[in-house]
This record gives sequence, structure tokens and C-alpha cells, in this order.
Amino acid sequence: MDRPDTASTCGIVLEHVHKEFPGGIVAVRDLSLTVEPGELVVLVGPSGSGKTTVLRMVAGLETVTAGQVRIAGRVVTGLSPRHRNVAMVFQNYALYAHMTVRANIGFALRMAGTPKREIHMRVNQAANILGITELLDRKPGQLSGGQRQRVAMGRAIVREPAAFLMDEPLSNLDAKLRVEMRAEITHVHRRIGAPTLYVTHDQTEAMTMGNRVAILRQGRLEQIGTPLELYERPVNVFVAGFIGSPAMNLLPARLDSSGDDWYATVGGCRIPILPPARVALWPFAGHDILLGLRPEDLVSTEDARDSEHGIIQATVARTESLGSELLVYLSLNSDVTSPPLTARLDRRTAVQQGTYTRIGVNLQRLYFFDPTSGAAIR
Amino acid sequence: MIRFPAAQLLRIVAIAAILLWSLAPIGLGVITSLSTQTDVQAVPARWLPHHATLDAYRSLLGGSGDFRAGGTVSESGAFTHALWNSASIMMLSTLAILCVAISAGYAFARLRFPGRGALFWAIVATTVVPVFTVVIALFGFLADAHLIDRKLGLVLVFVSTTTPLAMWLVHNHVKQLPTEPEEAALLDGCTRWQAFWHVALPQMRSGIAALSAIIVLLVWGEFLIPLLLTSTNASKPVTVFIPEYIGKYTTNYPLLAAAGVLAMLPPTVVALVLNRHIRGMLSGSS
Repeated sequence: MDRPDTASTCGIVLEHVHKEFPGGIVAVRDLSLTVEPGELVVLVGPSGSGKTTVLRMVAGLETVTAGQVRIAGRVVTGLSPRHRNVAMVFQNYALYAHMTVRANIGFALRMAGTPKREIHMRVNQAANILGITELLDRKPGQLSGGQRQRVAMGRAIVREPAAFLMDEPLSNLDAKLRVEMRAEITHVHRRIGAPTLYVTHDQTEAMTMGNRVAILRQGRLEQIGTPLELYERPVNVFVAGFIGSPAMNLLPARLDSSGDDWYATVGGCRIPILPPARVALWPFAGHDILLGLRPEDLVSTEDARDSEHGIIQATVARTESLGSELLVYLSLNSDVTSPPLTARLDRRTAVQQGTYTRIGVNLQRLYFFDPTSGAAIR
Repeated sequence: MIRFPAAQLLRIVAIAAILLWSLAPIGLGVITSLSTQTDVQAVPARWLPHHATLDAYRSLLGGSGDFRAGGTVSESGAFTHALWNSASIMMLSTLAILCVAISAGYAFARLRFPGRGALFWAIVATTVVPVFTVVIALFGFLADAHLIDRKLGLVLVFVSTTTPLAMWLVHNHVKQLPTEPEEAALLDGCTRWQAFWHVALPQMRSGIAALSAIIVLLVWGEFLIPLLLTSTNASKPVTVFIPEYIGKYTTNYPLLAAAGVLAMLPPTVVALVLNRHIRGMLSGSS
């Protein structure tokens, strides 16, 4: 197990980590994950997926039931938080309300017995990086949300920790500030270079900030990869539905073949299946499958080319113009029980609510899933 | 014409009644303390003294030997000594209760250890035991330890009777505080104790202020326990000392009233100073 790879000497390594709370609630199941030095890995998943528990186990705030945690090549599984050399940014910032910003940022250094002059210098340096020099003498209660966030970051970076942990640090900020801080955290991370584990439930944050993204569901790692890998090649229905906004359309379909003609039937429409996909789909011929269509892979019929696009007929239930694009919510045929279909069309597309319309489907970009296991067929 | 809705009128009447109920005895006490014995005993009753005087206060605080109070002579300095007894017992008890209650309440709220719940509720359950059911046994214990008629004995009893309640209050207060700052402190290199000292304790400041006020008021007003466990002026607090001004045949009412007014001052000052925190704790915003 102790391969002398770079991560085991410098990064964060979780090996077969398992967490069971008293009462038999399993929060994390057999999780193995590596954060390379200089890498930012985002742990993302719905609430209750165990992502915060993972972070807390790395920090030492939660015990590990089984498995091993290593930071910078050192086994820290049984160590107390203070011996792990880990910095964490909390969701609600967790600032020390009775101390000034300067004392907040310098607290860890003071606890470590760093000389006063050095504390002063390093706090100034951290404040400078984050642009909070003029706030150093204030108390946290006098700061705005964004400023508090910066102080929390300052408290983390001043220590030059072996690993960085962030627990939904942006979720208490408004939308505009969130975008700003997203860029800032990425910038600071590049500058500091410590391996970072970042927890969020917001897939946009995950996609924009992570070098790699790990998707958790019910304590299990569903998939880990670069944001593009997760988007392009989701391993199952859960990942497919979680990554991408608006979410991927997942439609129950029937796969049929007659000679050289392969097609999936969805709500009475036949969608041809191109030869490259057929090998994997072979066992499912004549059976039900789940057909995945990303909203951005649907086009209006004017933009559809016969060779590349199949056609779906549907009724326009609702439209939402976002200015730059048009979201069209469709229902297949008159079948009210069929799941709605979301299409992301060019903003100039002319569609009217309530009308029956034809939508082009990019045949190169179809996703297929096993309806029983949810696993991708490819 | 000003018109009050019925509910508001009822509220005003209720508040007035409560005020009258609680303030009238105090007002009567203050007036009596400024009167002479003749004024007090005049028939028909006089609501205000003919000649207001501070003689009763002078006698209590200065301890003029010739001022006869019922069957008891106001000995020189006896009352001030009783005040001092009360104050020292109150300060020592409050300090000890705070130390024990804060550390225990915090530990029960934050640390995980086997039997935590059972132990906590076992301690809290002792608050429902009326003290007079154990007072005989307590007397025996203290007698064996030679702590009868000693201030230390009273302090120990107050600590044991009041700490469970105080610990319970601290526990609930700590439960309301966010855990993250303490966790941040642990990650910043603190031991559990340092995180408590540097981060948790300052957060609990206003809760502790409110708790101190509650303890002061409880301990200062305690009557039954000191009555049973003290016998001489060496250790008697004011609550037990004052009734001794009531004589078998006559009672010096101005002196009695003045003693009551003086005894009321320290807790009043504490309550006024810490009022803001008490309100904060009661409304859960501290």
C-alpha cells in the first residue's frame, strides 16, 4: 500500500476510510482518495452524502472507524487536530468573535509560540494577499460576510499548512460575491500550493474550481475525475444527473434493432443510434434503457442536420429566457406522466408555449444507462 | 377620549397589580426605616413619619450601644459583621459554583465520554430534592467535619445544592453556542483545555455574567440552611441575623426595617448591573 508516489509524501491520502456513527449510521463507506500536492479536489454531493464527514476526518475532528488518513506522508489517523498541521475554512467562518482580525489571523502562530515580531510580519503578509490590511484592528462583528470570509482564509494561509480543508466556504455569500471569492480562492490556492480538499454541494463551484471533482452519494465515491471527464463520461445516472446545469434529461426508452437499423423509441419518437455505440448496447437490444440527453445537445429543427440529428416531437410546456439562451421545457407527446424534457436553445429560437414542436437531438452525444443498475452503458 | 382595547387594559391592570404586590412591602420598609418607634406605633396609623430620621441606619452601621431593639441590643458592629458574613459567603460560594458548574456544564455539553447522559441527568435530578429532606443528614456530616457555625461549612453546602442547577444552565448555554470556533482553535494548535480557555470561555461571557447574578441572588437570600447550620454571630449571614431584632415582647420596627433595606441593597446592585445579561440569557441571545 505504501507506494512512494508523490501524494504519499506530500498530499492528502485517504485509504479505505470508513465512518460509522454510534447507532449504526454509516456516513462514509470504503473511501479511497488522493489529493496531489498543489491540487484542489472538490468533494461534491447532495446533503447527507458524507462529504463534510470526510473533511472532518481529515482534520481530526471526527474519528475514523476503519482505514487510514495520511497527510504529507505521515499517518495521522489517530492524531489530534493540532498535530496534523491542517488548516480549515468553515462554512460559517468560525472566527473568534472576541478577538480582533489581527489576533484571529495570528492565533495559530501565537499558540505555536512564534515570536511576536514574526507573527506581526506574517499576519501583515497574509492580510496583504487577501486585501484586508485596513481591517486588522476590527472585530469580526464589524465585518461584512465577504470580509469575514477573507479573514477565515487569512487564518488558514498564515500557517503554511500541509493541507487545506474548506467546508462550503462560499455558501453564506450572495451570488455576486460568491463568483468573486471563487476566483480569489483559486488564485490563493495557486499561490500557496498546498493540497486542498474543498467541500461543496454546488456543482458550478465544483466544475469551476476543482482540478478534479469527486462525487459522493450516501458515503460512497461515485466517480472522481476532471470536471470535463465527469461531464463527458459520467459513470452512472447519479453523476450524469448531478453534473451539468440544467441537469441531463433522462428518458425511459426502448432499444430495438432491425438489421442494420438501430433505434431507441422515446415517447413514440424514434432516435437512431450511430454504429459506435452499438457494441456496448448489444446486450440491451429489445430491452428498456435510460436515454440521457444534455439540454445543450438539443437544437431547434432549423439548426438540425439530418445526418447528425434525430428528431423528437414534443409540446412546449414552458419557456424561460435567460437573455443569452432560451430554456424550453417540453413534454413528450400528450403523455403527462412522461418526464419533462429540458432544452437549451439559441436565444433567437421562436417557440410558443402550448405548441407542438420538433426538436433536433445530437446523435453523437447520446448517453445510455442500464435502467436497473443505473450504470452507464459504453 | 383615549380608548384602550380590553386586552391592553387587562395588561395594564395586571402589571399594576404585580408592581404593587412587589414594591409595596419595599416602600413600606423604606418608610418604616425612616420613622421613629412612636410613629410606627401611633394609633391611628401614620403612613408618613412626622419626623423622618436616619437613626435606625446610624445605629445599625455605627452600632450605638444604647439603641435597644426589642429584647436585643444592637451590639456595636454586629450588623455590619453579619453583612460581611453574607458577602464573604456569597463571593466564595459564587466563585466556587461558577468554577465547578462552568467546567462540568461545558464538559457535559461538548465532550463525548461513556455514561455522559446518565451522569448528567443524575446530577441534574438532585435539584428536585428539597433541601430540608437532607438537612438533618447534612448537619451530621458538617458536625463530624467540625464545620457547624463556620462560613466554610455554609459555602460547601451552597456549592453542593446550587451547582447542579448552575451546571444545567451552563450546559444549555454551551449547547446553543456554535462548536466551529472551538474546532478552529483545535486546528490552530490548541489543546482541548486551551480551546476552552481561549475561545469557548470568552464566548460564554454574557452567559456567565447572567449565571453569576442568579447564583448571587440565590445564595444571598438563603435562609433555612444558615438558620440550621449557624449558631453565633461569627458566621450568621444577614438573613438569619435580621429576625433576631424581633423581640419577644417588643420589636424595634424602624431598626428591623432599616436592616431589611440594607440587606436588600447588594443583590439589587448586582441585579441592576447584570440585568442586560440576564435578559440576554433568558431570551437565548446572549
